[in-house]
Amino acid sequence: MHEFSIALEILDTLEENGYLDGVKKVNSVKLAIGKYSGIDKNYLEFAFQNLSDERFKNVFTEFVPNDSDEIKIIEITVD
Amino acid sequence: MLKSNRFKRVSTGGRSLTVQKNALESNEINAKKNKAVFGKAFVMNILSSPGSGKTSLLESIVPALKLEGFNAAVIEGDVETDLDKKRIDNLGVPAYQIITNGTCHLDAKMVNVSLNSLDIKNADVIFIENVGNLVCPTSFNLGEDMKVVVLSVTEGDDKPLKYPAAFYKSKVMIINKTDLLPALDSDIAKIKENALSINKELIIFETSCRKKTTENIYNKGIADFVSFVKEKIRIKAAEFQKQNI
Ligand SMILES: Nc1nc2c(ncn2[C@@H]2O[C@H](COP(=O)(O)OP(=O)(O)OP(=O)(O)O)[C@@H](O)[C@H]2O)c(=O)[nH]1
Ligand SMILES: [Mg+2]
Repeated sequence: MHEFSIALEILDTLEENGYLDGVKKVNSVKLAIGKYSGIDKNYLEFAFQNLSDERFKNVFTEFVPNDSDEIKIIEITVD
Repeated sequence: MLKSNRFKRVSTGGRSLTVQKNALESNEINAKKNKAVFGKAFVMNILSSPGSGKTSLLESIVPALKLEGFNAAVIEGDVETDLDKKRIDNLGVPAYQIITNGTCHLDAKMVNVSLNSLDIKNADVIFIENVGNLVCPTSFNLGEDMKVVVLSVTEGDDKPLKYPAAFYKSKVMIINKTDLLPALDSDIAKIKENALSINKELIIFETSCRKKTTENIYNKGIADFVSFVKEKIRIKAAEFQKQNI
């Protein structure tokens, strides 16, 4: 279940780059996922649900393919 | 089959923000810090499922390197215990045990912390034994030069196809426990074929760590891998020297 660590990393990346400033709720996260990433959408949403950060409740995740190995955050929708 | 979404997309009329950032950015920052601390030492991140023989391989390789004047240091990753570190301590090389307390992989921050205590100043090579798991550790760069995947013949020849990430992201595959082949239906040619279908550039070694075999033919793989590591140490040290002139 490395999706928990990935969810925490996503939270850190968004926070450290100011994307969560003034945000009350994160509605969706769109990720570009490399080949053989081994990340399960359902588990990732479960991981977001269980973060202590309440803004990540009921996050919808969308995956699009990525040519590199990187897991890239493409876009988020927020309130 | 957990492929679907757990939650529905809700349209609340909120804002959309373009991000375009590596999701594991903070891990990458720590991996870069580790790389700087590793210096001239060549670093291998060893992945496998539990019990494939990662620690046993270190018990074979580290003394062989030591005999030829190469110093190793070892970072051990384990969910619960320091049993593997104790085995490495018996080899008389610096070792540090990371206990993840349930987490299924090492990340760069954990390695970062270990480098505050582990003595690597004389190390020519650093082996990081990841937590036994063929999936989770593959997502986390630790600052290593190379990932090495170990697969033991008892696991079956289909494993590269079932757990492709570890084989896709590794430069080397070690097929271990070859001494057990006579007792198995596992086909070593098939293991190789499957692994190469995931990553055609994989460099493959066949090893046995069973020291008490009557015939000593199995240890050629260990000797070949040791030669490979020595060459990597030499190349890394030369590159490091060039960059630091
Ligand atoms: N027959 C045989 N047994 C081996 C070989 N390599 C390891 N073993 C045995 O396999 C078992 C597991 O070996 P370890 O070296 O502890 O495996 P590991 O990958 O470090 O295990 P974890 O750290 O728990 O994931 C031990 O009982 C070893 O003695 C081998 O080449 N041949
Ligand atoms: Mg071990």
